[in-house]
Amino acid sequence: MPSIDVREISKKFGNLQAVDKVSFTVEPGEIFGLLGPNGAGKTTSLRIILDIFKPDSGTISVLDGPMSEEKKNLIGYLPEERGLYQEMQLDRCLIYLATLKGLTESEARSRVNDYLVRFDLLDARKKKVKELSKGMQQKAQLITTLVHEPQIVIIDEPFSALDPVNTQMVKDILLEWRAKGTAIVMCTHQMHNAEELCDRLALINRGRVVLYGALHEIQHQFARDAIVVESSQDLPDGLPGVTSVQKHNGSKLLTLAKGVKTEDILRTLLERNIPLEKFEIAMPTLDEIFIQVVKESGGEE
Amino acid sequence: MSKMLLVLRNEFVSTVRRRSFILTLILIPLVGMLSVVIINIIQKSTGQSAGSIVSTLFQPTVSTLPEGFIDESGLVKVIPPGYEYRLIRFNNETDAKASLASKEIGAYFIISKDYLQSGSVIYVRPDYNPMSGVSQSSSIDALMAYALTNGNLNLAYRIQDPINATQVSVTNVEQRNVDNPLTYIIPYIVTFLFYIVILSSSTLMLSSITNEKQNRVMEILMTSVTPAELLSGKIIALGLAGLLQTVVWLGSGMLLLNSSTSLFALSSAFQIPVSLLIWGVFFFLLGYAVYASLMAGIGALVPSLREASQATTIVILPMVVPLVFINQLIQQPNSTLVVILSIFPLTAPSTMMARLSSIPVPIWQILLSLGLLALTAIFLVRAIAGLFRTQNLLSGTAFSLKYFLRMLFSRA
Repeated sequence: MPSIDVREISKKFGNLQAVDKVSFTVEPGEIFGLLGPNGAGKTTSLRIILDIFKPDSGTISVLDGPMSEEKKNLIGYLPEERGLYQEMQLDRCLIYLATLKGLTESEARSRVNDYLVRFDLLDARKKKVKELSKGMQQKAQLITTLVHEPQIVIIDEPFSALDPVNTQMVKDILLEWRAKGTAIVMCTHQMHNAEELCDRLALINRGRVVLYGALHEIQHQFARDAIVVESSQDLPDGLPGVTSVQKHNGSKLLTLAKGVKTEDILRTLLERNIPLEKFEIAMPTLDEIFIQVVKESGGEE
Repeated sequence: MSKMLLVLRNEFVSTVRRRSFILTLILIPLVGMLSVVIINIIQKSTGQSAGSIVSTLFQPTVSTLPEGFIDESGLVKVIPPGYEYRLIRFNNETDAKASLASKEIGAYFIISKDYLQSGSVIYVRPDYNPMSGVSQSSSIDALMAYALTNGNLNLAYRIQDPINATQVSVTNVEQRNVDNPLTYIIPYIVTFLFYIVILSSSTLMLSSITNEKQNRVMEILMTSVTPAELLSGKIIALGLAGLLQTVVWLGSGMLLLNSSTSLFALSSAFQIPVSLLIWGVFFFLLGYAVYASLMAGIGALVPSLREASQATTIVILPMVVPLVFINQLIQQPNSTLVVILSIFPLTAPSTMMARLSSIPVPIWQILLSLGLLALTAIFLVRAIAGLFRTQNLLSGTAFSLKYFLRMLFSRA
């Protein structure tokens, strides 16, 4: 049973069709990427799932049924526009927001404390939120998203304003929560992060889903007839079945002639005693797929 | 604890812990206490009664110089007894002008030739004060009354002051002492106090909502509480903070005045009654509910506090009306205009409180005023709760009165 089941939702603001018949499901224990250019309709889709906006049409099932006030306590949300009470002390702010998610005050206090230790924010707990750096505020925001142990985590651009160390920490946390069986929806522009973390994804452009499925399937679908080869020795010219050889990140990218199989090339290379350090099918990056699909479906708005 | 209570507690604690709130809460009674102490000290050193010290503060400074007169009518034969040093006769205006210039006299009168027909007197004084007129000088009244009665002093007094009435009230309720300036000052203070308390607590509402919008906490809150829980928690919390302020201010004023009854020579029945405090609580709560919901409505629609300023001006306009009519309100607390203002819901809180602090108000008027205020509060809270929807709270557009009113009435 999917944790989130979105079916054909549409939403219009004035003349702008922000979301147009969007459908996808998110399963427990997976990281689902909701990708797309600016203004594609990602945040609106999230807000509809969270019952902040009502859709004009379509249905949403969250944890096996329509959204309710009780279910809101089972969802952790990190909005794109980060927000905390700037004038409040950090720990008071986090405890207050945690109690609004159904924790008792003592539970909230002890869990917030654990997270402050883990996120290296314990020394800043008595500071006003506005006195914290952007990265610290980002980590504090993440605490409000996770502190009530939600079954669904919805995060919009989780890596913005984070340095590489904290980015890695957030990635580790997301992977840890996925392992616990939490359904995670992640909106991001940063394709390399999505590629690293997401199990499945939907690419939205101009309010419509233009690509949807498991990451490796999508990559296979967009794979060119090419292989990446790394060898300590130069490759001989005129390999049969290879139309061109290009440099590719320290390796060689071999474009295959139509109808030639990768096994044929591998056999040829082995027969010619060429030492191989790497031999793999050239997969397009998510970045490349993203650009290609967005261009094909009508460009950025 | 329910989420509404969590919002309520957080809002209340955040408000009362604010430095500005604590300062105003303490400062106002402190200023009152200081004034009493100062009056006490002056009283001890001068021997004057506290009432007369306050009176002196409210009297315009009167020149101690004598005044001149030129009698062109020929009616003034003798200067009345007791006025010999206060009035100086001049035969022509040139001499009078010279004396005025050399500050031997403070002003002069020219009694015109046709005084008997026209009553015309020209009053020449160095400063220009259109508000005070001739009323500052009683000397000319005495001079002319004495001249017209051919020196009959008793008749002259009666012309000047024909009725010396003693009022006897058939009710056993103590009437206010018209000679004591405190009977006028207290309604002034109560009117302003109510204006300040209702305005400041309802403005807190506006800033609380716009603050959450600007801090972008609203989106987090919207996935945790319902708009109705948020609105009701805030209204009650800020109302309690305002109530705390009202009770502390009114209560300390009451204690201060009641403990210094002898100091101000007030009759014991004129002490501020406890009933004023009780009515004060009702009028504050309902008045606050009306204005706080209006402010919440503005807060729901505008993106930031800055954008809200034009809108708040329109909303608080009715609150300013009692201040504009404050003189009628205090001098004539039973006049038709004042009675209407004290019953009309948007002006009722401060007007009715001012009336209650100056005269006994018929109970039906108090109850009618409270009833209408309660109905308005219910209407507005319902209307604003409808308007307090997530889409409005998250979008934020430029404020338009037309849109505000349309939303208000379509949601009610």
